[in-house]
Amino acid sequence: MPDYDLKEVKALNYKRPDIVNGYTDQTLYLNLSDHKIAIKPVAEKTKKTFTGGKGYNLWLLWNAVQPNTKWNDPENALCIAAGPLGGTPIYPGSGKSIVATLSPTTASVMDSNVGGYFGPYLKFSGFDALEIQGKSSKEVVVFIDGVNQKIQIFETSGLPQNAYELSAVLTEHFAQGKPRNISVVSAGPGAKNTLIGCLNFTWYDPKRKRARYKQAGRGGVGTVFADKGLKAVVACWNNVTADTNNPADKARLKNVAKLHSREIVELDPKQNEMAKIGTTHLVTIMNDHDLLPTHNFRYGQHPQAPNLGQEVYRRLFDPGFDGCWMGCTVACSHGIKDFVPLTGPYKGKAVFVDGPEYETVAGCGSNLGIFDPHTVAEMNFYCDAYGLDTISVGTGIAFVMECFEMGLINETHTGGMDLRFGNRLGALELVHQMANAEGFGQIVGQGVRKMKAIFAKDFNADPDIMQDIGMEAKGLEFSEYMTKESLAQQGGYGLALKGPQHDEAWLIFLDMVHNFMPSFEQKAEALHWFPMFRTWFGLCGLCKLPWNDIIPEDNKDTDEPAKVIKHVQWYADYFSAITGNEMGPDDLIKMSETVYNFQRIFNLRMGFGRRQQDDIPYRAVGPVTEEEYESRAERYDNQLVKTYKVAIDGKSTAEKIAILREHREAQYEKLKDAVYKRRGWTSDGVPTLKTARRLGIDFTEVIELLKANGANS
Amino acid sequence: MIQVAGKQMAWRDGMTVSDLLDDLKDPHPYAVIRINEQYVTRPNFEHTLVPDDVEVFLIPMIAGG
Repeated sequence: MPDYDLKEVKALNYKRPDIVNGYTDQTLYLNLSDHKIAIKPVAEKTKKTFTGGKGYNLWLLWNAVQPNTKWNDPENALCIAAGPLGGTPIYPGSGKSIVATLSPTTASVMDSNVGGYFGPYLKFSGFDALEIQGKSSKEVVVFIDGVNQKIQIFETSGLPQNAYELSAVLTEHFAQGKPRNISVVSAGPGAKNTLIGCLNFTWYDPKRKRARYKQAGRGGVGTVFADKGLKAVVACWNNVTADTNNPADKARLKNVAKLHSREIVELDPKQNEMAKIGTTHLVTIMNDHDLLPTHNFRYGQHPQAPNLGQEVYRRLFDPGFDGCWMGCTVACSHGIKDFVPLTGPYKGKAVFVDGPEYETVAGCGSNLGIFDPHTVAEMNFYCDAYGLDTISVGTGIAFVMECFEMGLINETHTGGMDLRFGNRLGALELVHQMANAEGFGQIVGQGVRKMKAIFAKDFNADPDIMQDIGMEAKGLEFSEYMTKESLAQQGGYGLALKGPQHDEAWLIFLDMVHNFMPSFEQKAEALHWFPMFRTWFGLCGLCKLPWNDIIPEDNKDTDEPAKVIKHVQWYADYFSAITGNEMGPDDLIKMSETVYNFQRIFNLRMGFGRRQQDDIPYRAVGPVTEEEYESRAERYDNQLVKTYKVAIDGKSTAEKIAILREHREAQYEKLKDAVYKRRGWTSDGVPTLKTARRLGIDFTEVIELLKANGANS
Repeated sequence: MIQVAGKQMAWRDGMTVSDLLDDLKDPHPYAVIRINEQYVTRPNFEHTLVPDDVEVFLIPMIAGG
């Protein structure tokens, strides 16, 4: 007998609709306060305007909340969707889900994408999106059984706390001998006890006979999930084929899918070998170009970085197929078998670590001054099991370590811990404390923005220096790339709607290494096109890696190699083949532009979304400390003399830092102007009425909101 | 002999990655190449020797993120 209990408190039998051209045209609504289960139709206008995936999530969330709704109010909704192309097993990278909710760290709209089987299984069960409102006083598990056409809500007791064990237990419980039919979404104690919780989405690995998982990490989506009293949401589906989405033109779908899939099989081994080493190849590449964050983004390079590079993980990763969705030929979701942690509840026990990816290696390794791959693996394991975002954990602890080294905080604040850079056990201890709501970890788990306020108020730390070195914007911690020498990537982070995450625009190499965009206008064009195209993947249920991480051999000879236009055309064909709506590359951009602008307007509605919210800490722009300046003095001196025509003879380092800062911050403000103009926004960063009308989002409330924020034309 | 982007190419003693790219006369601004399983980045092209009998992969662009 299991030592846990699942007691059904509500159930709904339903008739699963046929999927037509990638859509079910209905969404599933749950209210956990009163256990309401309802099915809502999707209006044709909604479908046309918002496409699906993130677009649907934003529309559901917009209608669920008010401008004064807080993240932990019952009316805040947590929405999960795939998209019309999501779940296609023959096209690589077609298994993404996207999550949207009001964030505990930014107080505004957050979106986070993730692999695993849940989004496709949700759709195949009959729902284009899932919207969860309300709060349960007791922990509940929701089961969406598409095979038997039944939704159930269970009150639970005795289930494991952490996602590692919970995923396995619930997979076995609901599988009825067919574990590949199950996908579990869960958070963990870290998500419950901090504001930086992630969600784990499982996929079943038949070779290793275990539920594996990927993470929707950013912005505390797991914290919202846990706050609602959700233990897990489980979806069940069987029989995934190319027909399951009922494509409008199956022959066309098969043709374009075969082209892209074959190309990846042929070229990935010749390029970055993602099927073998995931994204870990980026570690040494970023390090060599002074782009790998070390010591809280002070520097971009460290002699020990190769200890965290692909040559190490090539040996650590367990060989085999690691696709987080069926049939994906990128198959980059690698893991470490029989890893034995040195700390915590699994100390001395062999576990399977899902990861690490580049972001975790940089965030929980180099950025903490930790160059030991086993510590990174242990941080990775516990963050996932506890439901903590490895990026926010890494960037948050990096901030703490720099504050400690600067003397802004000391051992009386940290519970006696010496938290200088490189303290591996200290970093791990903080992760355990976050999960258990203990000690100094409780403060760290609030995220960088709140830590800055707490350190200033309670520890009398200097707020100005913390503003410069605390790597957050809009309340979200930076992901793991250095931006000091790439103005375009400063914009890629600072002008991103949800905060500094690289999924909108990753322009570092194009801008800094290749110098493909020397003018403001070219940077602005890139900061228009790339966020728009990358947004499109989130509307459709796709992973972006097949687009530009494996590149056609003749791509370099095209007019705009950065866009990988051959693949963009394939994606247009893919969309047309599934939905029956004939689309070209420019149409994809228009779809995204609509949702992108709507999200900016949503931020505005929540009290954000203006120019001042696009500011970034100076650490992202240039050297804050004399040590940083002097470490790259030749570079900075040259820029002052040659670019800004400043006579530097006789000037102290502090004076040069101040002059450089004035110029670099002015450049960033000019970039904002150029990008806002290109995006059709006012100089305050507000979409104009003309833009809203052009995109068909000129709803009455939107127009009133824009006018109230200075958009008059 | 070495193999570069799938084609045989003559190897010479002391050949660096920069020499190899010059010989190729390919105008693409490569920032990263791979020699068997070892990545070499542009800052190291000039002082990294290409061994004999290796396979060289020209990485077209680093997309990141």
